[in-house]
Amino acid sequence: MKNKDNIESFFNPGIVTVVGATETPGSLAAGILKNLINMGFKGRIYPVNPKYKKVYNIPCYPTILKIPKKAELNIIAVPSRFVPEILKQQGQMGIKNTVIISAGFKEIGDEGITLEEDIKDICIKNGIRVLGPNCLGTIDNYANFTTSFLPWERVRRPKAGGLTILSQSGAIAIAILDLAAQEGIGLAKMANYGNRMDIGESDFIHHLIDDEQTKVIGLYMESVDNGQRFLDAAAKCSKTKPIIAMKVGKGQAGAKAAHSHTGAIAGNYEIYKAAFKKAGIIEAVTLESFIDGAKVLSMLKPPKGNRILIVTNGGGFGVIAADCCSESDLNTPGTSDELKKKLTSKLSKYYVVNNPIDLTGSATDNDYKIAINTSLIECDEYDAAIVISLMAPYCMTDRVVDHVIDGARFSGKPIVVCTLGGEYTMRIKRMFEERGLPAYPSPERAVRAMKILIERGRLEGAL
Amino acid sequence: MKNTLKEANKIVSNALAAEKKRELQRNKQKKKICLIELQAKELLNIFGIKMPEMKLTATTEEAQKEAKSMGFPVALKVVSHDIIHKSDTGGVETGIKDIKSLKVSYENIISNVKTNLPKAVIKGILVEKMAPVSTELIIGALKDPQFGPVVMFGLGGIFVEAISDVSFRLAPINEKEALEMIKETKAFSLLNGFRNQQTLDIYTVAKSILSVSKIITKIEHVEEIDLNPVLVYPNGIVVVDAKIIIV
Repeated sequence: MKNKDNIESFFNPGIVTVVGATETPGSLAAGILKNLINMGFKGRIYPVNPKYKKVYNIPCYPTILKIPKKAELNIIAVPSRFVPEILKQQGQMGIKNTVIISAGFKEIGDEGITLEEDIKDICIKNGIRVLGPNCLGTIDNYANFTTSFLPWERVRRPKAGGLTILSQSGAIAIAILDLAAQEGIGLAKMANYGNRMDIGESDFIHHLIDDEQTKVIGLYMESVDNGQRFLDAAAKCSKTKPIIAMKVGKGQAGAKAAHSHTGAIAGNYEIYKAAFKKAGIIEAVTLESFIDGAKVLSMLKPPKGNRILIVTNGGGFGVIAADCCSESDLNTPGTSDELKKKLTSKLSKYYVVNNPIDLTGSATDNDYKIAINTSLIECDEYDAAIVISLMAPYCMTDRVVDHVIDGARFSGKPIVVCTLGGEYTMRIKRMFEERGLPAYPSPERAVRAMKILIERGRLEGAL
Repeated sequence: MKNTLKEANKIVSNALAAEKKRELQRNKQKKKICLIELQAKELLNIFGIKMPEMKLTATTEEAQKEAKSMGFPVALKVVSHDIIHKSDTGGVETGIKDIKSLKVSYENIISNVKTNLPKAVIKGILVEKMAPVSTELIIGALKDPQFGPVVMFGLGGIFVEAISDVSFRLAPINEKEALEMIKETKAFSLLNGFRNQQTLDIYTVAKSILSVSKIITKIEHVEEIDLNPVLVYPNGIVVVDAKIIIV
């Protein structure tokens, strides 16, 4: 077993102190403690506050200097002016890691900049690694650990899974988390670094290379902590784990006064795009495609080839999907004569057995089973499928979920689902997602997800 | 390869040393300097990138003689360490067809530069053989403070910034990436037999992008490179103008 590194302590500390502990509703520390207790964190918690003997029934200590055993991580949620003193005490106690939740530093201007420089000095002198300040910190969905103060009644906690979110912005991190829960995406970890005084995305990506729970990384960037370290870590990590990233602040001009045309054209964003390519990172240009991409990468493995089948029970949606595929350079070859013959012998003669296979409004859920199994298993002429299942016709029941999922499992080929409609349909969509197939509420989004999956396949060298 | 780099580094460090000397003489510091054409040509030549035949001349008569021997049409360009944007100061005349018009153009350049940049020290006038008209490309490079060396490829000429049909990669790149850079741009369709025209030499373009990638990553002091326009033909390319900024 490898030694626990610093970063690991930010996700799963054996002992954690919460400075500023209180039960006062609405305060940051109360939120953090409540979350830790309610999530079922198994490590030891030491609340610290001279005002209380107990907080949420846990013994509370007047200062860090009085805690009975050395903590691995110190969470600071007190007004910024008290932070330097707490860090000095932490240094005295030899606690090497801290999350500074408190705001009131660099982000507020001159006064805060000075304060942030002060605490940086203290941390360097005492060898303390810092997450934040001005951040939500971390979530570890397996260790049931968090430094976030946001109530789980407002933000749904995703089930345990493989996605780890790294975000410079706390608001974006939480929104993605909430959406992940809604879209059935399983979460491994989350980290938000706020002012990024010390630890940033490069440290986290480097750490996640060997993290067992993390299978996919979703990265939201405004800037980079250190270009070269970022490239090294991301290039290494993306060899085994997909990274999907969104870069905002695209309009920023290049950093230098340009003497050349090249310098004049090369904005900040173009260079990030080039950096993403170099590091094997998949770029998402919108928040929607970021979530859609994180979902497909979390749920499916890339196909072995790029021949895509479309199955639908609504002709129009099949055409839209086919159009989107051709615009996205996805390959949708027609069905072979052999496959046509097989399908015709098993299905109603009114169905169109081309690509898209149009099962029409008469389709039963069993027709999906026949269409998918015959095309993906019996005839090995497609590598992946986009299955559009519209739930309005009477013969379509939730059994279609079983059939499509069986088809994907038995064939070993990825299937992206598109199902669009109101409440009944959304229930079906959730059923797909709970059982591990990504479903999207429009053909455009389903195709885009497939494109992201194929892009990942290319990066893995399979295509 | 090792010798190549040594030679290239020598050109750049000599240029820097000469600039330092000029700075001392004039008691003025310039942070970035631009290699003059002949230095740029020598540097690019080491990496197998071709520039047109060119000669530095000191008088109209000398220019006429050189033009005659290399053959018309020719272009004239002012050579001065003090001028980065030559055409903006009226320091470039192109499409000169005979000895008579060469004299007029030569005198134009001298008087334009004297009016627009009276303090510029003119080293001479360059006579350059005009390359035949063809599709114009740009190959560029720079050093980004965060991500390091970057290469660029795209549609060249005077509309570069307006059209901005370009692709970028972090350098160094390999052959496959160089080709991908070309294929990503709309310029690719112009190179690849647009409207039944002859296919242009994509491979030499790709090799030149690789060379520029090498220069920006391996040669110390090189900060920015603009090869624009790069004229591409069915067999080979010619770099008509090269701006290589060193610090």
